[in-house]
Amino acid sequence: MTRTNFPLSLWDISLWIAVTAIILLVTSELLAPYSDYFGDFVIDKTRLRLAALVLGAAFMVTVFLHALAPR
Amino acid sequence: MKRKLLETKQTPSSKIGIGFLVSGCVVLLASVVASSTVLAFIGLGLAFWGGLFLFTRPVKFVTSTLLDFTATSSYITIDRITEDLHYKGKPIYVPPYPKEGRLPEYLKGLKEMIVFIPAEDTVAMPTIEEMAKKQFLLKNPQGICIAPPGYGIVNLLETELKTGFTQIEVDQLYTSLPTIIVSSLELAKEFEINPENDLIHTKTVDSVYNELYSGKQGLKSIHSIGCPLTSAVACILAITIGKLVTIVKDTVSSDLKTIEVWYKILEA
Repeated sequence: MTRTNFPLSLWDISLWIAVTAIILLVTSELLAPYSDYFGDFVIDKTRLRLAALVLGAAFMVTVFLHALAPR
Repeated sequence: MKRKLLETKQTPSSKIGIGFLVSGCVVLLASVVASSTVLAFIGLGLAFWGGLFLFTRPVKFVTSTLLDFTATSSYITIDRITEDLHYKGKPIYVPPYPKEGRLPEYLKGLKEMIVFIPAEDTVAMPTIEEMAKKQFLLKNPQGICIAPPGYGIVNLLETELKTGFTQIEVDQLYTSLPTIIVSSLELAKEFEINPENDLIHTKTVDSVYNELYSGKQGLKSIHSIGCPLTSAVACILAITIGKLVTIVKDTVSSDLKTIEVWYKILEA
């Protein structure tokens, strides 16, 4: 019987979280001066910022885990 | 026709978010079966952005024109009452007793903000006992007591400010009020409030209530009692300063973009 594993390591996920967090944080900062409604696009900026911050914090957690158990 | 209207008026759809989320989950499962790192990254990305699209959708979204149409009926009612009773006095915003303060049972009515519209244009106010009875028609002096059109906004602004307007100083109000009105609640594009001799002057650019001043409905009370935003500012001034406030005059630009209002603090 073959055992299936999730193909990404903690290091891979950490990298993905870092890239996504940067994209979201930059987007959130760029959208900050605008209203929630611009053109045909409506977005809840507060929630976007929250998601960006949570991902940033998640990245810091993965870094902390790496520091605790490097291998 | 119906389809065209739906396309322009509907709130953002959740279809894209759900589509991304479902396809992301499928690709993630496929990545586990195929042990593929590339598929895992694609699946993770799709699922995450799907979740994000659903999460950042605004819960409620209404067009600003709806605000004008819902507010109009209140002003028509006020106009009808004042015309029927032949009242000529300028509305006076009466500050409420602080919410946290203790009052005897018969004075509990003083905790509500009211606007007193006197029959004559003289500054004579009813007694505290009379105002506490929550009466509509007052006899001495003659006038009516109504709830200010902007009182709901005051409560909303207090929630945004995370404190009551009785707790802040006037100078602090001048700096924080424009920020809340423009950035937090987006009731206007620009808002300025400054003391000007013995009056307080406000300048509002692109207010969400500017259509009320258009004259299409022929609203008279809008200039004396103010639009909901102007009324809310009068309520806030009355609450913070703790004195009677009245709207002395207002000017509206021809394109309805700029509304300027002058408030006066009355010595009771």
